[in-house]
Amino acid sequence: MAEQQLPERQSPLEPEYHPGSHGNFEHGVDVILSETRPGSILQLAAWPGEEKRLIEAIRKVTGLALPDGAGGGVSNGARAVFGFAPGKFTVVDEAEGLASTFAGVITPAIGTLTDLSHGRTAIRIAGPKAEWVMAKFFAIDFALPAFPLGAGRSTNHHDIFAQIQRSGADQFDIYVFRSFARSFWKALCHASEEVGYEVQ
Amino acid sequence: MLITCPYCGPRDVIEFTYQGDGNRERPQPASQDLDAWTAYVYDRLNPAGDHNEIWQHSGGCRAHLRVVRNTLTHEIRSTTFARGGHKAEGRS
Amino acid sequence: MSPRRTETGGRIDRLRTIRFTFDGATYTGHAGDTLASALLANGVTLFGRSFKYHRPRGLLAAGVEEPNALVTVLRGEVREPNIAATMVEIYDGLVAVSQNRTPSLAWDIGAINQLGGKILSAGFYYKTFMGPVIGPLKGTRFWMFCEHFIRRAAGLGKAGTAPDPSRYERMNAFCDVLVVGSGPAGLMAAKAAADQGARVILADLEANFGGSANWSGETIDGMPAADWAQRTVGQLAGNDNVRLLPRTTVWGYYDGNTLAALERVTDHKEVAAKGEPRQRYWAIRAGTVVLATGSFERPLVFPGNDRPGVMLAHAAERYANEYGVLPGQRIALFTNNDSAYRSALALKKAGAAIVAIIDVRGDVSNEMRKLASEAEAELLAGHAVVATEGGKALTGLNAQRFDATSGALSGDERSIHADSLLMSGGWSPTIHLASQAGAKAEWDPARQAFLPPKPTQRWIGAGAFTGSFSTVEAIAEGRAAGLQAAGGSAPLASLPFVEAAPGDPDPAPVFEIKAKGKSFVDFQHDVTAEDVRLAHREGFVSVEHLKRYTTLGMATDQGKNSNVPGLAIMAEALGKPIPEVGTTRFRPPYTAVSIGSLAAERFGDLKPERLTPMHDWHIANGARMYSAGLWYRPMIYGLPGETVEQAYVREARATRESAGIVDVSTLGKIAVQGPDAAEFLDRVYTNMFSTLAVGKARYGLMLREDGLAFDDGTTWRLGEQEFLMTTTTANAGKVMQHLEYFLDVIWPELKVTVTSVTDEWAGAAIGGPNARAILASCVTGTAVDNTTLPFMGIVHGRIAGVPVMICRLSFSGEMAFEVYSGAGYGTRVWEALIEAGKPFGLVTYGLEALGTMRIEKGHVTGAEIDGRTTARDLHLDWMLSKKKPFIGSAMMDREGLIASDRLQLVGVVALDNRPLNGGGHVVEALDEANPHDSLGHITACCYSPALGKYIALALVKGGKARHGTRAFVSDPLRNRFGPIEIVSNHFYDPDGSRMHG
Repeated sequence: MAEQQLPERQSPLEPEYHPGSHGNFEHGVDVILSETRPGSILQLAAWPGEEKRLIEAIRKVTGLALPDGAGGGVSNGARAVFGFAPGKFTVVDEAEGLASTFAGVITPAIGTLTDLSHGRTAIRIAGPKAEWVMAKFFAIDFALPAFPLGAGRSTNHHDIFAQIQRSGADQFDIYVFRSFARSFWKALCHASEEVGYEVQ
Repeated sequence: MLITCPYCGPRDVIEFTYQGDGNRERPQPASQDLDAWTAYVYDRLNPAGDHNEIWQHSGGCRAHLRVVRNTLTHEIRSTTFARGGHKAEGRS
Repeated sequence: MSPRRTETGGRIDRLRTIRFTFDGATYTGHAGDTLASALLANGVTLFGRSFKYHRPRGLLAAGVEEPNALVTVLRGEVREPNIAATMVEIYDGLVAVSQNRTPSLAWDIGAINQLGGKILSAGFYYKTFMGPVIGPLKGTRFWMFCEHFIRRAAGLGKAGTAPDPSRYERMNAFCDVLVVGSGPAGLMAAKAAADQGARVILADLEANFGGSANWSGETIDGMPAADWAQRTVGQLAGNDNVRLLPRTTVWGYYDGNTLAALERVTDHKEVAAKGEPRQRYWAIRAGTVVLATGSFERPLVFPGNDRPGVMLAHAAERYANEYGVLPGQRIALFTNNDSAYRSALALKKAGAAIVAIIDVRGDVSNEMRKLASEAEAELLAGHAVVATEGGKALTGLNAQRFDATSGALSGDERSIHADSLLMSGGWSPTIHLASQAGAKAEWDPARQAFLPPKPTQRWIGAGAFTGSFSTVEAIAEGRAAGLQAAGGSAPLASLPFVEAAPGDPDPAPVFEIKAKGKSFVDFQHDVTAEDVRLAHREGFVSVEHLKRYTTLGMATDQGKNSNVPGLAIMAEALGKPIPEVGTTRFRPPYTAVSIGSLAAERFGDLKPERLTPMHDWHIANGARMYSAGLWYRPMIYGLPGETVEQAYVREARATRESAGIVDVSTLGKIAVQGPDAAEFLDRVYTNMFSTLAVGKARYGLMLREDGLAFDDGTTWRLGEQEFLMTTTTANAGKVMQHLEYFLDVIWPELKVTVTSVTDEWAGAAIGGPNARAILASCVTGTAVDNTTLPFMGIVHGRIAGVPVMICRLSFSGEMAFEVYSGAGYGTRVWEALIEAGKPFGLVTYGLEALGTMRIEKGHVTGAEIDGRTTARDLHLDWMLSKKKPFIGSAMMDREGLIASDRLQLVGVVALDNRPLNGGGHVVEALDEANPHDSLGHITACCYSPALGKYIALALVKGGKARHGTRAFVSDPLRNRFGPIEIVSNHFYDPDGSRMHG
């Protein structure tokens, strides 16, 4: 089927997405919240022993070289990749259609490719109090030495499963299941009121 | 209680799901040995001390882990991935 | 004379005056005051009435261990009872009231209980209210009858009933070193660890860091200890690697060096800032913990030791030095150790007259004698207090000669005029957290105290916590602990220089003065020394039994004051040394913890909501939503004035007559991918999937390992190595874990990936005689005729410009299609289908109509696959492949699972044309007065528009053989009885001609 221009996707946050400053912002806004709405969110999985080939494939397609180690990751603004489980990686691209670019590269001998572009919602929290607000939700260490730049983590907040990538010194990208996204977003806004937040 | 996931590092026990006694041996799929199946499905060790257990890091990387946990002290002696772990033979 | 504020001194801000009320009267205090210190400064001596006897009580302590002065703080409609006045920081507008008194604190009718003192002894309630052995109030029933009245007479504050509007939060924290307690030891530890670069958290339950430095009157590095503490805190605050948590009680020490703490964020503020939580629950994961939690001064047990005006010696010292308040003008002290001499001197310096120091020890050291004379106090060595006088305030006391070895009193009683009596029974290290963390405490005969156990987790003790009661030791141990915790060994600068009063830390082993009158051990639960002995006489010899029988140490202060004296008295009664009597293990929480803080952010609806992509459309179009697990799904799309039944009957009827559409996005969807995907599915499903052609779907059934039915759904083959599995909504998570378990643990050699893609796809099921025509009118890129899209076929096309995947399958029994699109396009596709359906009268339908149509068809769901039924019970045995083993195949044919009298799925028709209820029983003979002999139960019910009857599905014993027979429904809970006919579960279109088209 020939690719044709697709209409804009509906955000699950829409009725609860209110750009502007909120909460205790009179003394300044300490976090900025946004939905980044990447065009592509993929999950790549390598068979045991094929991880290196998969990482090489990712480098070829995205230009991003994954660092060694569990949960390692890297981002360049437009694209991001991080490990979230043994042999498994999340790859994100601003543009749509990354799945078809990968389709020929991830052969059955290497592993599998699963398109989650609709199924995951990407929420970004940035600012000096980002770690503080994140610590209200997740029982993982957000300090820079423990959670280096680019790295990914899989964790959950009660029933809400989340993959988190540190995309800046004080910036995190949170990938949650779309069906939970609005609920999580509301909770995130609520928890950010204390420090003052801006929705962009 | 903390369990150190070999992939994710130490995490709170609430991120994990207990998936049963790690000493169970599943019979060959085609086996008709009902005693062996019954032992596999129903028999559980319940030691006071070190116990082999399977846990899934269900709130994290979702890998299954073999955990040796002391049932008296909650001390965890070792944690390894279940996949590629010991006793791989006997399972088809 | 009454207590009063000193002219100078204290750490309060005398320039800031704060107004508050206590029991309706307005008082003023200063910034830095607690409710206790401010009231004391106003001359208030009566703070509460005791638990059982309603005796007047004043302040015993100055800190968290206060047992008497419990108050209720009111904020609007919200009341928080049982807070120690010593822990309430005053703020403008604070409203506090006393507790356990009727009608007022000064005139309390409950005080009549004092006259029955002998009767209300230990175990009184258990013994008296056990009731007769026969009759309507026999045994404990009589107790339950009386309990209501007793609880009203004996008790603490009342909890409120208004909803608490405050915000509570949970915070996760990680650090290398957690220092608990900020006295000189804790400050040194935090400083040493922070200087090593470690990530440090310093927590203290008080508002101000410094601990004893704030009131000891000692000098450190040439400056007042309080200034030294403030300077050190200032240095710590400047470090990025230090988090300071004042007003934070570390209350639980759990496995893996995980600690729980409660921060009182805004309790001391008039108004919280926007978004600021009232309290914050900290879950702290610490590399190493430094326990610098200090120690508690112990009361002495003697007659009248609970009279208002009798106070712990250090507490008085603290009121004077930290708050600038004298608890009295003529002060006497009663002690078994040296520390009270320092207190005496401090109070003297603050302006009080010290009338006497009564020391149980005959031989008091020259150093102490010198301190006594400096305080201009008369020293009564080898004496003890045997009585106190006064009503709502102390007026005097009697002392008598005392032999510390034998405990014998002799000579005449001497009366001493005093308005304040300060006591010191030695010191107990605050070992609660160490005890929570593991092993038993050890008794130290020299210190006469339980010292912390050997660490079983990664903690290091420092200062008074370890039994090192001097500031010099605290500073040295604190720094050593901080260094060790941070893994450092840097060359050391010299330690801060301490100037302090001398003193031997070892007290005389005297806990009780046996004289006539009530001597209290546990002030909060009104347990006397005689109660402890009574418990012993009645055979309660174990410390655990003693505790439960007398309730010693079981009040909100959890024995912080009474633990050691109670044990000592028990040990004496038993004729055993204290270590042989043992101590109870301390358990969390260290202090009371608000439920709000534990619930934290889980307020309101408690659980997160899961919404489908079309959620907002449903709401905008009149759907009444229903919560199914975490999901919200339309129940009906009711028209004005319609009942639920009218709505679903209309929706189901319209679907069968023309077409209906339902949101099925909640179905569990799992991508099963990889070279071994087909093989894997053959193993997990009872039927064959490797034979399924690409572009086709098949209905599948899974069993558990024990052979019982687990879940069902259709699985679509999208490619040679790619399947899309659907599960029931409720079981999606369980099925996912089941698959992951087998791939990870049992068959790691299979190359298969499973991924939850439930949220990737929006799903709409459109069914009915006109469904195909509607689809044909809006789908591009593919035909949907019977050849292109046969039953269980899959095609790809576009609707409204977006890619869709259409599978022809049916749950309703009609010609039906499931249309899947990317979730972000779900509403767009849904609206396009609605638009295309308009000419055909397409209706939207909800869960009720969905359920109705599935009951008419006799399909099973979780109500029937209930964990007890087999495939055969549900007439799904045609799906059990004989060509291959699968999960559950070896166990499913066990004798009990194939018996003919098992509960089997049947249909039920109400013969009285009245609604049936889920859970109603099926019986052979009706006996409304004595319902019995259930044959089974109804699992799902509805009014069937297709049949024009009330019908149900049921699980009935030997049900298959009962088709066509009559029975009865028996539902005594809902008083529904009536005749039914048992039929096949396939009520409607049993040969499937409608869906096959």
